[in-house]
This record gives sequence, structure tokens and C-alpha cells, in this order.
Amino acid sequence: MSRSGSFFTGLFACFALSFGVAVLAPHYQIGTLIPSFKEEDGVISDVYPTAPGGNAANGRSVYISEGCQACHSQVVRGSESADIERGWGVRRTVARDYIFELPPVLGSTRLGPDLANVGSDKWRNEPELDKVRPSKRDSAWQFLHLYHPTAVVKGSNMPSYAHLFEKRKVSGHASLDALKLPVDLAPERGFEIIPTADAKALVAYLSSLNRSSPLKEAGAVAAVAPSKK
Amino acid sequence: MTEVASHHAPAPQTSTVTDLTLVSNRSAIDAAVRPAVVSLFLSGVAWLLLSTLFAAAVAVKLHFPSFLNWSFLSFGRLAPAADAAFVYGWCSTACLGVAVWIIARLSGRAAPGTSLVSFGALLWNGGVLIGVLSILLGNQRPFNGLEFPLAAFIVMFAGLCLVSVWLAITYYSDSTPSLSVMFVSGGVAWLGWSLLTGNLLVASHSVTGVVQQLAATWVSSGALWLWIVPVILGIAYFLVPKVTGQPVFSGPLGRSLFWLYFVTAGVISASRLSGGPVPLWLSSIAASGCILLLVPVLGTVYNLFATAKGATVTTASPSMRFVLFGLSVLGVATVLSAISSLRAVDYSVHYTLFDNGLRALLLRGAASMVLFGAIYYIMPRLSGCEWLSSSLISLHFLGSAYGGCMGAAMLILSGLASGSALNDADSNFSQVLELGNSYYWGHTMSFVLLLGGYFLFAMHFLLMAVRIGQPAGEPTLLNSHHEH
Ligand code: HEC
Repeated sequence: MSRSGSFFTGLFACFALSFGVAVLAPHYQIGTLIPSFKEEDGVISDVYPTAPGGNAANGRSVYISEGCQACHSQVVRGSESADIERGWGVRRTVARDYIFELPPVLGSTRLGPDLANVGSDKWRNEPELDKVRPSKRDSAWQFLHLYHPTAVVKGSNMPSYAHLFEKRKVSGHASLDALKLPVDLAPERGFEIIPTADAKALVAYLSSLNRSSPLKEAGAVAAVAPSKK
Repeated sequence: MTEVASHHAPAPQTSTVTDLTLVSNRSAIDAAVRPAVVSLFLSGVAWLLLSTLFAAAVAVKLHFPSFLNWSFLSFGRLAPAADAAFVYGWCSTACLGVAVWIIARLSGRAAPGTSLVSFGALLWNGGVLIGVLSILLGNQRPFNGLEFPLAAFIVMFAGLCLVSVWLAITYYSDSTPSLSVMFVSGGVAWLGWSLLTGNLLVASHSVTGVVQQLAATWVSSGALWLWIVPVILGIAYFLVPKVTGQPVFSGPLGRSLFWLYFVTAGVISASRLSGGPVPLWLSSIAASGCILLLVPVLGTVYNLFATAKGATVTTASPSMRFVLFGLSVLGVATVLSAISSLRAVDYSVHYTLFDNGLRALLLRGAASMVLFGAIYYIMPRLSGCEWLSSSLISLHFLGSAYGGCMGAAMLILSGLASGSALNDADSNFSQVLELGNSYYWGHTMSFVLLLGGYFLFAMHFLLMAVRIGQPAGEPTLLNSHHEH
């Protein structure tokens, strides 16, 4: 073989090694997982995770297209980190949580809180007894937050997603889904702010985010904050 | 060692009669590749300005979220667009331009069909443009560093293939490749292979779930560590001996480190996902890789500095000043990357802006500086005149060096500050953010320096591209007492 031939053969060997270690081997280990389930007398129950469907699936596309993942991760790390104590999840997330995600939205920066479980009732981003903690983060709260983050979270650094809403003239009765805005943000009389289909899908997606179902490889589910360190 | 040195004829000032045939051959090569190389550099510089403007706006948005908050310029779109335009627009086109010139020069010929290279450059740029516009218009993939949609990569890949074919024909020979050729062609080959494999796997859904992220991270980490960094090391192995007129300190050392570099840099990609839902063994290999990478990187940087040692021209030559600065920053960035891969450190700085700082350090502080150095060296040979003004070069150096390092340092400090709080459940999340926020002003200010420096460079470059400069002969040096 010529000298440059052996050079490129060597280089390709490095490439193959790299691909084998970083992609192929993990694929055989975690790339072919199936959902966990219980089977009793031929009856299958407690299937987790399930393929996302309905409006939440559309919302996932909106989330990706808006680039929410530039500021939000969807990964809860184990007990070496403070993620669980912060209220972002009851257990760490594992590969099985993401098997139906094409593509997965793990995120790499946390300029905002982790959202892996933001749809679960237990999710919080403040200490449990915090005075300013919202009593309920329902869809109406999420719409308000997306429309104008500082309206519900003081000093929030999250940008407004007002472009996912539209201002409409009230015809007859006010729409059911019109935002209930504080006076300083409310539109002029006779107008209302309503979420677009994209905003509704996005909030459906956020509400669907819940990776709390127990999985044996994820270790114990924390009922209370686990002891740290 | 000897065959490496033989490629590097003495610096022009000392050329002897025996070099004359070589020189005339060289100017023929330069003339042949000029259109392709200049158009690659030109598009690179345009992307440099555009992506830095984008990045400056992103920096402002970090503390003023309502700044330019239209849907197509919102943070979640502008940030990935800025990063991708920098990596695939500026760094990659400049690297391709340098690759074309260096491979032709070192092979002593230019294959016919340089217009294919120009067309390839056009395709590559078209792909990047498609990618950037797609992200801004709302079509991105949620993979950090690989946000462009598939269509963009297909067009870019087609362009890359044209350039690579030309490179292969030009280079084809039976001689042992020099260190410079090894690093440059290694980088080009890796980029092509990984773009193809990674995008195919992800787009065809051959891998699903977390493995898609692993594949994407493997491509984007490769674009940085196995494409851009090798090319800048290849540039340094070409320029340092050339400009100083001294042979490479140790050829055999350089070769061993080359192989060690490609093996270790190939397994570090998953370090950016450690702590997440990836196999533990993978994170461990990646973290060990980050530490082991210190050997080939610091070794290579040492080899290059030892090559330059004692030469008087190192401080006066613009290319040397940029290249040696970039190499030093590369060393620092690799040390930081090794430290941050330690489990305890990783758990706190992961997910903070530390990673972005490290990336900025590598891209702006190291890679861009070496690329500037290469352009300062190459353009006079293509245009037949010397750079107009040494003060413009000095100002460019100050702006890009201080701006790049300051911006990166602010992000790194912000990451360290917020990271320690992020990993301490007693601190409220808003406190975590506030700790990081204190560095945003410094980060934003760094863009004033960067934009100033880059803008001066762009002007100077444009003049050079239309052959406005000092008469050829005496290279433009930085210290006036060297200008006899
Ligand atoms: C510039 C970074 C940034 C971007 C982009 C961003 N966010 Fe946020 N997000 C934040 C910050 C900071 C917080 C914490 C302050 C707050 O709650 O408003 C936050 C909080 C949140 C919360 C939690 C609010 C709570 O307390 O329950 C949700 C849900 C959320 N963001 C959703 C989104 C969605 C959906 C998108 C994309 C449409 C998005 N974010 C884009 C920065 C960002």
C-alpha cells in the first residue's frame, strides 16, 4: 500500500473506533429498549413510556422550532446533583424515558429550570415552602407565563412568546380562552388576547411532560428529598 | 523530521537562486488557486461578521430578554444560528480555503479544475445559508451544534465532496505525508465522513431516542475537535517552520502525537452528556479522553513553540503573533476541558454557560486567531502585494484576542458561579441565575472589542482581495524597527 494509503487507512481506523465507541456500542446497549410494563394473567398494564400523541406531539414541534431547548434541559440527574432536591423530578431520567422521542430534546444549557417533569403536579422550581411559589401551574398559568413571563414570575429572564398569541376584537362574548391579564398588560377595551393553535399545542406538550413513572434502572423514586452527598 | 523540513524552504527574505524554479512554480500554483481560495476566505469573513453580530445580539438578550424579541430573532433561534454560522460559515470556509492552498503548495502542484473548488465553495455556503435561514424561520433540530436541518447538510456535503475530490487529486502521491498534510487532510476527511454518517443515522431514524442525541453530539464535537482543531494544528505545522525558517522541532514526536490526538479526540464527544441518560462507561471513557487529550494537544503545542524558539521574527510577523497566540489559547482551553470533565467539577458546571465559554475560547480565542494568522500569510501571496497597514493588523489582534478571551472568560466565570449554586439545593433557582447574571455585562462588552477588531480585519481583507496594498517585497511587520 502507498504511504498515503496507509495514512488514510490508519485515519479511518480512528474514525471507526470513534464511531464504535460513541455511537454504535451505546446503540446496542440503550438503542433498542422497549417500554416497561406489568403483566398479570396475560393482561398488560402500566405501560411506560407511551408514544406521544395528539396535540402534545404538535407542541413538541413548536417547542423545538422555537428553540426552548436553548435554555431548558429535560434531563434529571441522579443524587450527586441537586436536581431532585430542587423539585425537578422524583428520580433521575434514563434512556428508556426517551425511546419514543424522535428526536429527543435533552437540551444542554439551563438558563431556565429543567422541564423533564414540568407537567407533573409535584414539579416545583422554588423551595417547597416558598411564599411566592405559584399555588397552581395550570394551563392558564402557562399561557400567561409564555405571553409575558414577568407577569407571573418576578424578574424572569425568559423572553416573551407574545408571537404565539393573537390580539382579536371581541365579537359578542369574550372568548373562553382569552388571557386574563393584569391591567397594565391588558389590551385596549373591546380587544382580547387569545393563544394561537401553536401556543395551545405547546402548553399541551408542557402539561404532558412527566417522567415520574418508576423504572427499575432509574433507582428508587424519592418520596422525600433524598439525603445528599 | 528531514522530509518535513524539506517542504519548508527558507523564508522569502533569504531565498537563494536554487529556489527560483520552486518560486515560479509557487506563483503558478497561487495563480491557479486564487479565485477558489479568495472566495472561500471572502465568504468566511462575511459569515464572521454576520455571526458575530448575531452573537452580540444574543449576548444582550441574556440580560435584556426583550431586546429584538421578534419570533425569527428570538433567543432560541438566534443563539443556534449564531453558533452554526460561526462554525460552519466562518471557521469551516476559512479552514477549507487554507486546506486548498496548503495542500496545493505542499504537493507542488494544483490539479486542474479549480473552478470545481469554487463551485464547491458556493454549494457549501449555500448550504450554510439554507441552514441559518431555516433555524431563524423555525426549522431546527434540537441538537446543540447540529441544529441545521438535513437539507442544509446535504448541500454542504455536496460542496465538501467537490473540494475533497480536488484536494485528493492534487495531493495524490506516494510520498510520506508531512505533519501539515496529515492534520489538514485528516480534518477534511473526518468532517466528510462524520457529516455523512451522523446525518444519515439521525435522519433515517436508524438510531432512536438518546442514541440520536449521541450521534448528533458525535458529529458536532467532531466538527470542533476533529475538523477545525486539526486544521489549525496543520496550519501551525506549515507556518511556524516557514516563517521562522527553522525545521520542525521533532517530526517523529509530531507524528506520534498526531495519532494519539485522533484516537483520543474521537472518544470525547459524550462528555457533553455526562450525568444524563447515557451509559456510565461511555461517560467515563469520554472523561478519560478529555484528560488524555492533554498529552497530544500540549505536546503538539510544545513541539510548535520549540520550533519557533529563538527566531527573531516571531513577534514581528503578524501570522506568527496570531498563530502562537491561538496555540496558547488552545492549550488553556484543553486544560479547562480536562478539569471540567472531572466528575465533581462536571456535576456543577454542566448545563451552565461554562460549556459555552469553553466553546467560545476554542472557536474565537484559538481557532479564529490561527485562521487569521493563515490569512495574513496567504493573501499577500495570492494578491501579489503586502498588507496595507501594520497598525490595522495590531488593532485587529488586540480586538480579537482581548475580545475573544474576555467574552469566553465571562461565560466561564458565570458558569462557575451559577454552577456551584445550581448543585446546591439550598440556593433558590433564581439565585442561581442571579449569580450567573453578574457577568453578562462583561460578556456583552467583549463584543464591542470583537466587532471592532473583526470589522477592521474585514476592511483590510477586502482591500487585499482587490490587490490594494503595499508593493510586494517587504512583508508588513508589526514592530516598526523591523521595517527597514
Ligand atoms: C433565554 C432563555 C429561555 C428561553 C429561550 C425559554 N425560557 Fe423558559 N424559562 C427561562 C427562565 C430564566 C425561567 C425561569 C424564570 C421563569 O419562571 O420565568 C424559565 C421558566 C420556564 C418555565 C417554568 C415556569 C414555572 O415556574 O413553572 C417553563 C414551563 C418554561 N420556561 C417554558 C419555556 C418554553 C415552552 C420555551 C419556548 C417557547 C421557553 N421556556 C424558552 C428561560 C428561557
